[in-house]
Amino acid sequence: MGNPLRRDDGVGIKVARNLREKGIPAEVEVLEAATSGLDLLEIITEYERVIIVDAIVGGEGLPGKIHKLSLSDLSPRSGLVLSHGIDLPTVVKLGEALGLPQPKEIVIFAVEAGDISSFSEECTPRVETAIPRVVELVLRELERPRN
Amino acid sequence: MKRITIDPITRLEGHGKIEIFLNGEGEVERAYFQIPELRGFEKFCEGRPAEEMPRITPRICGVCPTAHHMASTKALDDLFKVEPTPTAKKIRELMYCAFQAEDHILHFFFLGGPDFVVGPKAPAGERNILGVIAKAGMEAGLKVIEVRKRLRKVIQTIGGKVVHPVCGLPGGVSKPVTEEERKEFIEAAEYAVDFSKWALELFDGVVLKNKEYLDLVTGDIYKHRTYYMGLVDENNRLNFYDGRVRVVDPNGKEFAKFKGRDYLNHIQEHVEPWTYVRFSYLKNVGWKGFVDGEESGIFRVAPLARLNAADGMATPLAQEAYEKMYETLGGKPVHNTLAFHWARLIETLYASERMLELARDPELTSPKIRNMPMETPEEGVGVVEAPRGTLFHHYKTDERGILREVNLIVATQNNSAAICMDIERAAKSLIHKGEVPEGILNMIEMAFRAYDPCHACATHALPGQMPLEVIVRDRKGRELKRLVRSL
Repeated sequence: MGNPLRRDDGVGIKVARNLREKGIPAEVEVLEAATSGLDLLEIITEYERVIIVDAIVGGEGLPGKIHKLSLSDLSPRSGLVLSHGIDLPTVVKLGEALGLPQPKEIVIFAVEAGDISSFSEECTPRVETAIPRVVELVLRELERPRN
Repeated sequence: MKRITIDPITRLEGHGKIEIFLNGEGEVERAYFQIPELRGFEKFCEGRPAEEMPRITPRICGVCPTAHHMASTKALDDLFKVEPTPTAKKIRELMYCAFQAEDHILHFFFLGGPDFVVGPKAPAGERNILGVIAKAGMEAGLKVIEVRKRLRKVIQTIGGKVVHPVCGLPGGVSKPVTEEERKEFIEAAEYAVDFSKWALELFDGVVLKNKEYLDLVTGDIYKHRTYYMGLVDENNRLNFYDGRVRVVDPNGKEFAKFKGRDYLNHIQEHVEPWTYVRFSYLKNVGWKGFVDGEESGIFRVAPLARLNAADGMATPLAQEAYEKMYETLGGKPVHNTLAFHWARLIETLYASERMLELARDPELTSPKIRNMPMETPEEGVGVVEAPRGTLFHHYKTDERGILREVNLIVATQNNSAAICMDIERAAKSLIHKGEVPEGILNMIEMAFRAYDPCHACATHALPGQMPLEVIVRDRKGRELKRLVRSL
């Protein structure tokens, strides 16, 4: 997820594009989303496993640091908030409340951002460096047998 | 003077903080709505080919990208001095109406509506879509998701992508509509018309028949006598896609009517040192500060303003709903901010009916979808009604079409002065003797959620949910209280 014109806010999109170039298994779809959590709901209900890559603000204050998170890590109290829209836990709860099919697993790779407000198609240096590492982590995650 | 700040603001796009200054007696002295982000988008665009703008500008905000795409495309029509074909206009307008409807629905049910359906004094954890479903039922929730899904499919079919459509070209659109697609559009539009009727019934049952809410909607707390602006067709009926910009005064009398191209003769921007938002005002009335009335150049845009600025709705069911609203609220114009929510639902009905009209139009599937630009570009303005209000894109280029200057007046900027006034008025009447209970804080936020503001657009920044702290200081600047708004 992300905005490729807003500096580090585009890190998720860049990871997605790198993944596509590297080649991924046929049953895996790489999507780019720049939308509020609600529209995310429509997307995730179609899949069994979802991996989200996005920038975060907060965390440890170390731009480029990669966090692997689960849904329960995203409570508002934790101080880790995805940089896009209606929070994911609420979206998932909404899906449950409406009886919509839910993914069995949601994993989030969150990269700490340095700057998400300047207009630029480049990420800040530490975040740029993190991109290949995130790609590797996602590929490894995809190879993991399902629970 | 004590300072109380509400921060971060829930359920809006973008972020900011409200600072309320209390005097020694604990009464509100002054209130400000501040956005700490920086602008810079316009500079980012200079030096780029103008034709890229319909794909760049939608990235200002992930919520109303279609509005920017359309305003940008129309600015290119003007820049390259090319008139789109009749079919292209219909295709664009159809997609645009679908977008208006789905966006308004998102706002009502997810962002602004929960205040009404669940109640403003309910705990924060319930004042969201989950609370709406708990109250209005699971079927209501599923209906909302379904109608938005269908409308977004229409946008995707025409626009190529849902979030950032790419179909707009100077002089037309990139692909024609097939008969198969037309059938889908008709079905989606019919579903949307039914949904809109249901939504208005829901509003009637939950809000209008509830005295407490009705008092809120009609009361003085959220009320400002301002000018109103909106796009109208040749019959002075509201149109989202095209027409003339019409302004009426606080008494409802026409004050100005102009082509988008002439906006600089009518709208000026005022800057305050404490925020990056630029405040629009009417040049020919003048900036008199954050005050109401005929002498103040402050105007409002978006649903209620559009209905005030028009003489009616161009489709029959929406016209009925429009008449009912004005009858209930005592005639035109209506100044009550909370009526924005009602007007938003009436607009959803109009957008759906209009979509159906266009979907049934025989010319929709014609292959004549573009006139090629032949002239040398120089300067162009495009104006549309974004869900949040009138949106202007203004481009100046060299003879090769490379951008030299870009000016965007985004919808929320046009409402920003009124938003500040609403917050201050609400704060003044609700906070006394330094008491700030939780439910009342949300009522102040209600004031501007009605505008559905996207401060991301107003500052050309994108939302990031930065944890913000609230610091209360006395008049010597010492910290009195530290508040964090719990989500």
